[in-house]
Amino acid sequence: MLGFVIQRLIQAAAVMAVMSVIVFVGVYAVGNPVDIVIPPDATQDVREEAIRRLGLDLPLWRQYFLFVGGVLQGDFGRSFIYNEPVLSLIAGRAPATIELVLISVLCATVIGVSLGVYAGYRPHAPLARAIMALSVLGFSVPTFWVGLILILTFAVSLGWLPAGGRGETVLILGVRWSFPTLDGLAHIALPALNLALFKMAMMIRLARSGVREIMLTDTIRFARAAGISEATILRRHVLKLIAAPIITVFGLELGSTLAFAVVTETIFSWPGMGKLIIDSITLLDRPVMVAYLILTALLFVTINLLVDLAYAAIDPRVRSGEAR
Amino acid sequence: MSAPSTPLALFWADFRENRVALAALAMVALIALAAIFAPLIAPQNPYDLATLSLMDARRPPGFVGSGGYVHLLGTDPQGRDLVSAILYGLRISIQIGVAAGAVALTLGATLGVAAAYLGGRLEALIMRAVDLQLSFPPILLALVLSALLGQGRLQLIAALVAAQYAYFARTAYGAASAERRKDYVEAALATPLSGRRVVFRHLLPNCAPPLIVVATVQIANAISLEATLSFLGLGLPVNEPSLGMLIANGFPYMMSGRSWISVYPGVALIVLIVAINLVGDQVRDQFNPRLRR
Amino acid sequence: MTLSFRTGAAAAALLLAAGAAAAQTLTIGVRGGPESLDPHFSALGSHAEAAKHIYDTLVWSGDDLQIEPGLATSWAPVDEDTWRFTLREGVTFHDGSAFDAEDVKFSIERIPVVSGPTTTTIYVRRVAEVEIVDPLTIDIHTDGPAATLPYDFVRLFIVSSEAAADYSTPETANEGFNGGPAAVGTGPFRLVSWEPKGDLVLERFDGYWRGPAAWERVIRKEMPNDSSRLAALKSGQVDVINYVSSIDYLALQRDPSVDTVVGDSVYVMNLQLDQRENPPGVRAVGGGELDANPLRDPRVREAIDSAIDRETMVGIVLEGLGKPANQMMPPGFFGSNEEIPTPTYDPAKAKALLAEAGYPDGFEIDLYCTSDRLPGDGAICQGLGQMFTQAGIRTNVNALSRTVYFPAQARREYGVFMNGWGTLTGEASYTLGSLAHSEAPDLKLGAFNRIEYRNEEVDALLQEAATEMDAPRRRALYEEAMAKTMADRAYISIVQLQTVWAARAGSVTFEPRFDEDTLAYFIHPKG
Repeated sequence: MLGFVIQRLIQAAAVMAVMSVIVFVGVYAVGNPVDIVIPPDATQDVREEAIRRLGLDLPLWRQYFLFVGGVLQGDFGRSFIYNEPVLSLIAGRAPATIELVLISVLCATVIGVSLGVYAGYRPHAPLARAIMALSVLGFSVPTFWVGLILILTFAVSLGWLPAGGRGETVLILGVRWSFPTLDGLAHIALPALNLALFKMAMMIRLARSGVREIMLTDTIRFARAAGISEATILRRHVLKLIAAPIITVFGLELGSTLAFAVVTETIFSWPGMGKLIIDSITLLDRPVMVAYLILTALLFVTINLLVDLAYAAIDPRVRSGEAR
Repeated sequence: MSAPSTPLALFWADFRENRVALAALAMVALIALAAIFAPLIAPQNPYDLATLSLMDARRPPGFVGSGGYVHLLGTDPQGRDLVSAILYGLRISIQIGVAAGAVALTLGATLGVAAAYLGGRLEALIMRAVDLQLSFPPILLALVLSALLGQGRLQLIAALVAAQYAYFARTAYGAASAERRKDYVEAALATPLSGRRVVFRHLLPNCAPPLIVVATVQIANAISLEATLSFLGLGLPVNEPSLGMLIANGFPYMMSGRSWISVYPGVALIVLIVAINLVGDQVRDQFNPRLRR
Repeated sequence: MTLSFRTGAAAAALLLAAGAAAAQTLTIGVRGGPESLDPHFSALGSHAEAAKHIYDTLVWSGDDLQIEPGLATSWAPVDEDTWRFTLREGVTFHDGSAFDAEDVKFSIERIPVVSGPTTTTIYVRRVAEVEIVDPLTIDIHTDGPAATLPYDFVRLFIVSSEAAADYSTPETANEGFNGGPAAVGTGPFRLVSWEPKGDLVLERFDGYWRGPAAWERVIRKEMPNDSSRLAALKSGQVDVINYVSSIDYLALQRDPSVDTVVGDSVYVMNLQLDQRENPPGVRAVGGGELDANPLRDPRVREAIDSAIDRETMVGIVLEGLGKPANQMMPPGFFGSNEEIPTPTYDPAKAKALLAEAGYPDGFEIDLYCTSDRLPGDGAICQGLGQMFTQAGIRTNVNALSRTVYFPAQARREYGVFMNGWGTLTGEASYTLGSLAHSEAPDLKLGAFNRIEYRNEEVDALLQEAATEMDAPRRRALYEEAMAKTMADRAYISIVQLQTVWAARAGSVTFEPRFDEDTLAYFIHPKG
């Protein structure tokens, strides 16, 4: 097992090294940030001064090694636009994204699984059909469009909820959170719903097909023949069996929802990391783009690694490298 | 009616039973036709600047513009007739979705089948890369790539392909490697001169059904992704607006009560995507033996 | 409700007297804020805006960017490369110490050391040496004749040479200023607290030389999101906000709880026509090559000018938030020419001129512009495309992200392009010197002339003006250069943009400033 762990760790490190080169060179290729950072109507002196101060006069490979050197000491550089250390910039935006993602994934899972179990348990009931229609919609309709409709309905027409921005925050453990305040909840409702819909549709489908397949198995037939009540069957056999895949998906989805938040945050002007990356792309804020992408890559590589290790812990065949 | 005999006829007979899917298929066909013949049915060529007038900008549905005809769905901030803009926008969306889907299918299937057929180190390398890519959300990949590559149709298609090919590769690999392990394939491979035959006679045909299912879903996804990227300002140039761009252009006007600019293109986009997905659902159910009665 | 653009200084002075007695708090919601409280750190507009609350500048830039006495009461050239500044008497810093020439010298010399990436060294780039003549007189020696030096000094913030003495290296500056001990100025407010990207809290400095401010306390809240800022105003969280979008502006006009103030901005949208022999993106109809660059023919350029309907641009595309422009600077700036005729929209004349120039069937152009830099840029560009196409010049519009546009424009990949130019200094050397002069790096002129526009007369006028120390004569030279440049129509100005502020109805009055600054000292309580 230890050998396997070390092998996978080395692999993950290699992937991160390759990713950092790709990201750095790729972002470098996008364009010259100097033309964006300084006003286009600034004079030549200003321009040259800015190039020197941003360290853009150095050759690419030296910039890369300076960057890697910094990263290994925990320094991702300073944002060209905000002139703040990138890490503190991202860390400052992280709580907003984290609370949005957690709330929406939680909602998606609780509501989605309940609806899905029902739809799988009574596949031909009219309500089940309605649920499935909803899930097709949730699956198909692009997130940004749902966002528009939510704003149009609840913010513009009905005026119940604010159209964007983050509400009042409170300081908990040195981090500003908005969900404990009423104003904060009002602000988070629409974006969280927006972000949750797609995941909810997925959870419905997952739960429904899981339940349907299990309901057709012999175990259930025997259980029914033995006179065990439907409620017990659901609880003992069905829910228990679909729980494992749903928990796995929940974990994996947390990661991808972080990425999906980009769209939702843009529509609802949610001051999170997704908004930050879109802004930094349009402003060519290289250090922020690079840091965000590398941190995202790190997040996914870590998730992958953990999933691999978890599988290996459960299933010894994986360790020999045969089964996968 | 005589009993259907060919596999295709059998498939069609099954498909026809699901009325929703049938209606969805009709809708997809209708939209495709409308998009193909857009230049003939649209009252205006929204990409020809000579026919636009700023005087007609942001007019509500029902307004009779300088062209002398009724703008059934109103006009956009540049004075484009929205009916025409939507028809032309659908054209772009479908073109890009299908092109990206086709290229991703070809690339993905080639990689997947190659990995399954060749085996060994190459297989491990290809599939490891594919798996790694699959763990990244396609939206993020497409976002970053379209930022890197710049604006334009080819760049957008490239970004979409890069975001999607891995799904095809995984699917093709799954089907092909299952087939590859079967005894008759092993036996066929033992005879000389048969590599190509094995690939084209046995591996590829077995990959086809799942690939078709993935392709339908991915075309819908590509259309949706394109719209999302255009909405975020990373897609196509503004003078030939796709549906996503039309929606984005109208977005700021929503608060001031001029919601038609965004809403109608959005409805068109959703009808198209939902219809494709419904067809895809039915096709998948038909290919899934476990759900067949 | 919309307040008029100019209500006059008299009313302001009156309100000032009345307001001084009131003890009130003013809360301002702004789009961006200072990057640090060291005024010398950044040249960004929002940084200088915040700094103006705590510090003063040697030369003051008025509402219309005209230069006025600030901490210097007068200035005059002593010889070709020396300016003498006479300093204001009796000015004290927030800590009670007196302001004198030592603080000016200290501030000027500090700038190159502590400047951040958006460099403030531009304000002192011409300074060779600072010489203290007496405590209230200072001589600035420049590297050659520097006629516009006083304009450079409108953002030369003066810090206390005593309080900031220990905080003037890149490592210590932020610590000293953001923490408080060094953030001592002569401005209308003293610092209470500051949270980066958050609130800047200030209190009135009673010893301010212009007289104490109307507000006891000022809170400047950073709210980068346009709709949140507006929402905060509507909910009463803030009293005044800046940068209201044109679309919100329309809706706000119908809202009785909000007053809006519209001000002209320094930005003018200019169409630029490549004068090189083979401009990229200019073709015969159908894509063939043209014998010559049509944009070099004055008749073609006049045709393009006549094809532009500026009233429609303002009324429909910008929904009223702009003014038709006839030159590259707003009216009233140093060097703007009032004699330049207002261009008229005449599509028939445009077609006739094209035919006369040998293009009865027109030609094709690729028009490039930004779509995300200034309000309405992409829409104006698409509007131009319609107007040109209808006049016979088939136009492909490419409205691009500024991240694509500016690098390519700098590489001269565009033949016909449009972008905004802001005359940030309020005088013509900045604009004409960069755009209208032919490219001459040795003279530091023509740096942004990306169309190879060259008019020997204009070049001569601009070179003469650059070293002319007599202000009225210099103004006349720039006015003439402006008239000649605009008559050539290689640069065609289209519209001047406007900016909108909003305030709770009936709460405050203030004059919009050209540089878009929102300055608490000049905001007065109403009634």
